[in-house]
Amino acid sequence: MNVEEMKKQNTKERVKLGYIMAILCSVFWGAWYIPGNLSFSLTPFTTMGENLVAQYGYEVGNLLLCVLITGLNALFVVLVLMFWCAGLGKLKEMKRSVCELRCCTKYYFLGAICGGPMAIMGSYMASYFIGAGFSAVSALCYPVIGMILSIVWLKQRISTRAKIGLLVILAGGITIYSLDLMENLSAGGSILGYVGGLMAILGWGIEGAVAGKGLDVSEPDVALTLRFIMECVIWWVITIPILLIAGVPLLDGIMGIFEPTTLLVLLMMGLTFGLCYVTWYKAFPLIGVGRGQAVGSLYGLMAVVFILIFCGTFSWIYIVGAIICIIGTFLLFTEKTDDMESLRGGASDE
Amino acid sequence: MSDIMKGRPMKFRILEILYDGDEIWNYDLVKQLMDEYGMKGDFHRDSVNFDLIETVASGFIESVESEIDTTGKFREGSLLYKYRFTSIGKAQYEELASKVHKKKEA
Repeated sequence: MNVEEMKKQNTKERVKLGYIMAILCSVFWGAWYIPGNLSFSLTPFTTMGENLVAQYGYEVGNLLLCVLITGLNALFVVLVLMFWCAGLGKLKEMKRSVCELRCCTKYYFLGAICGGPMAIMGSYMASYFIGAGFSAVSALCYPVIGMILSIVWLKQRISTRAKIGLLVILAGGITIYSLDLMENLSAGGSILGYVGGLMAILGWGIEGAVAGKGLDVSEPDVALTLRFIMECVIWWVITIPILLIAGVPLLDGIMGIFEPTTLLVLLMMGLTFGLCYVTWYKAFPLIGVGRGQAVGSLYGLMAVVFILIFCGTFSWIYIVGAIICIIGTFLLFTEKTDDMESLRGGASDE
Repeated sequence: MSDIMKGRPMKFRILEILYDGDEIWNYDLVKQLMDEYGMKGDFHRDSVNFDLIETVASGFIESVESEIDTTGKFREGSLLYKYRFTSIGKAQYEELASKVHKKKEA
């Protein structure tokens, strides 16, 4: 193999690694739905949810429960990521990065706002007030926002083939959840659920682009750990203390996390969501925000696979959706990588 | 060469080293960065090299020359790259230089 061929091979391998990261992201994201949904039926949260609904009404009561569980999710992700960064010897780089507020930390903070209070919270709201199908479909649309922003703001070039691949994967994901979606929509539901769906689309879409900007000048493992630390600040330093001072009875839920089953489920939430973000943020510098989010949205398919494994519910529409998703992924994987050495310079319109 | 990015995040320093327009081989860059940041071993060598690969993907630096490592300067059998700055990278560095926090005088 001569030098030119090796150069092309290296670029191809970098892109391949990026896609592997994005696929792993979708696997961990899909796996997260199991502990994520299970958390609402755990010992302290079920009774706490009933009390909150009795005290504040259905919508506000459940919204408060969503706040606590989203905050706990962020806390356990930070726990996992601190071990991850310490293991990789990146704590010093984290210290160096956190000091640069105007250069990179502001992007992590913005990412935390978009990904936490907007996206994850919105996703929970959509799931709780309308239904899991609606929540999944609305969140699946986030790569459209991410891809548009990566082209307009980050100036990353994306081929027509990659754009079509994204749309096909989205069509597959929507097909998978179409029966649930129709059922959810015909049942109506609270306006808060629709607001939540919009929050998820915009939140994750904007977070990807913001993360891409921050990742230009920082290390992925460090960047995402700081992003979750910022999210913890939003929940545990600002929101939850304000709610406790206002007299919202969240303390029972917080103290109840040490119950063994609850702790195990929360650790699984932290592990799956933490690794999902590790691979998501690693994919962006390698293949760009648009492609990373497109393949990452395969989580819709993965979630169904995990639900099938653990809950055993099956529908023929899953097979149709899965085939469409695989076609979309194939379109992205077979994109030419010859001119992708730089994500801002290559990707001709093929 | 300016050194305002010394001790700051690795990618800041990568941009600064190449900002003067010099063309530098990846093995020299990796060695300089590992010395400055007190890193040792193959894991950190590959980790720093990966930061360079990501910086290329971001479009801030580009390779101008390549050759196969036959003498083990970096990793025998791997491809060595000589990097230089791009115009996008220049703009990014200047933006960073204007925004970095002021270090306390020793």
